[in-house]
Amino acid sequence: MASLFRWLDERVNLRGAKRDLLDREVPDRLTWWHTLGSATLTVFLVQLITGVTLATYYSSSPDHAYESIQFINRQVASGMLLRGIHHWGASAMVVLIIAHVIRVFAVGAYKYPREINWLVGVGLLVVVLAFSFTGYLLPWDQKAYWATAVGTNIAGTTPLLGGALVALLRGGSELGAATLARFYAFHALWLPLLLTALMALHIILVVRQGIAARPKALEDGAPGSTADPAYPAYYRGAYAATKRGGQRFWPDVLGKDAIVSAVVVIAIFALGAALGAPLEAPADPTDTTYIPRPEWYFLPIYQLLKLVPGSFESAIAVGVPTALLLALVCLPFFDRGSTRNLLHRPLALASLVFILAGSGFLIGAAGRAPQPKSDSSAALSSVERAGRALYQSQQCGGCHRIAGEGGDIGPDLSDVGARHSAGWIHSFIELPSRFHAESRMPAYGPPTLSHQEIEELAQYLSSLEGAPGHEPHYYDSFPAPRSP
Amino acid sequence: MTTAPATERRRFLRWATAIGGSLALLLAFVPSLRAFLSPAFRRKRSEKWIRLGAADQFDTSVPTKVDFVDTENDAWVAIRRLRNVWISTTDGEHFTVFNGRCTHLGCNYAFDKAANVFRCPCHTGYFDIKTGSVLGGPPPRPLDTLSVKVEDGILYADYQDFRLGIASKVTV
Repeated sequence: MASLFRWLDERVNLRGAKRDLLDREVPDRLTWWHTLGSATLTVFLVQLITGVTLATYYSSSPDHAYESIQFINRQVASGMLLRGIHHWGASAMVVLIIAHVIRVFAVGAYKYPREINWLVGVGLLVVVLAFSFTGYLLPWDQKAYWATAVGTNIAGTTPLLGGALVALLRGGSELGAATLARFYAFHALWLPLLLTALMALHIILVVRQGIAARPKALEDGAPGSTADPAYPAYYRGAYAATKRGGQRFWPDVLGKDAIVSAVVVIAIFALGAALGAPLEAPADPTDTTYIPRPEWYFLPIYQLLKLVPGSFESAIAVGVPTALLLALVCLPFFDRGSTRNLLHRPLALASLVFILAGSGFLIGAAGRAPQPKSDSSAALSSVERAGRALYQSQQCGGCHRIAGEGGDIGPDLSDVGARHSAGWIHSFIELPSRFHAESRMPAYGPPTLSHQEIEELAQYLSSLEGAPGHEPHYYDSFPAPRSP
Repeated sequence: MTTAPATERRRFLRWATAIGGSLALLLAFVPSLRAFLSPAFRRKRSEKWIRLGAADQFDTSVPTKVDFVDTENDAWVAIRRLRNVWISTTDGEHFTVFNGRCTHLGCNYAFDKAANVFRCPCHTGYFDIKTGSVLGGPPPRPLDTLSVKVEDGILYADYQDFRLGIASKVTV
């Protein structure tokens, strides 16, 4: 071991690398909040490892995408766990990177000399959000399809560029095979490359510029503006002074980083193992009843759209994120005061509180809003889906009610499948008067609906069994056949 | 900063780096590796009994070929393949059923009536029609026999494929 180390050291100067990277002195009194960036990096590695493995079992074609996800869930060893880790890891990465941005903002670490690294960080934030946006289309389930339909439609409301932007995102005018392929290519090829490159640059800059010191140490006796010609010299002196505590990157910083990273990964693993990752019914472009809800981190925008009148919608949907992004990009060039402590920067404090409170309020409001009913018909066959489409197109809901929706002229059909067989339902729809002479329901037999259509409808209705776990219990009686 | 508690703290942080870091990566690596490697360890096969026809209809002098469509779950894709087996019997009671693929490289061999042998057209391998043993050519092993059963006068064979081009009969 020792001789291997010596052999390598003579060639690549391991000692020098250790001295420059691990033994470098860091500012004193670094907090646990400083671990958020490295935790984001760790979660990215977790996403990379699980993502590459998931990719070996995934098919990015609408024909097979959903089936391949089911295959991962059911057939691949640890498949459900891997999807769970990747799913919760995605949320964790968004939480961590936003928390990291907030910390950097709060201690004014984007100010001189770290303006460039702030921009790289904003780039990383955008890439992480792009990862989530492209990632949740891949399972090709209802949520994937409809949330992406809405997301791309929002982009379509952009003034002037809207139409081109939608076509660009979807690879055509409609959401389909080309969309899935390009989302997958971006999610699994372009974005990881981009993220890796930006992260490398981000870390190189942190090593070159050093970890940002606590605000107070850089404020005493500082010129009022970082644009002041005297500021760089002041900064060098003040920053060097913070390093006199003898703290080194390893183990003083890296040890804490590792502890927080481990806690985060254990939490992700536990969530993934306990809850797995959701998979709804397969994407069904003909289903007009599905109410898509975005991932929680897009909820503020989602909720905001509900609160504004229609004509302002595109201004909000496209304008707010664009304005936020622009504000982040301009921030280090606009805010050049040398004050770093958040409590002494009233405008910054007010903006942060406003954005956090606003997002929190909107997420809370979205959470309190009635949840779209979960699709209990997760495993509808293609025949049953065709039946559901007929139920809608024939406006059966005008008289009948399913799961609380529809009219009350006819009987509630929420659990009709538990009470009658498909065969009985078929006969009934065909000619209700055969069963109840006084029935007000019109006959749907040919030519109104073909026998195949009635069968599709009957198959769909017989899949409705009300509360789960109810064993169907039929009391079907058929009228005596009429003698010819 | 080189006081005793600081040294203690650093020793703890050194260990924390090693243990925390490896734990974090292991938690992602182990399930990934398991998922990735699992196909290499999967060793279960469900029987696939193919109905070949009434047992008394098979010719006792010449072998009979039966084609059938095999629906196979290829991961998340259901694939239908045309397969065939050759049935050989001398008494109409005891049957030998051969997998229809030549053991050399998997071509479909045929019955050569003139020579009364199975002949594979790809590289001219010859097999005995009763035992399946190699009579000539490159095949490394006899034809692959399948398990058979007769139930209610119907002949069934448990269809499976074996690895090609090697001397021993190993299931794929």
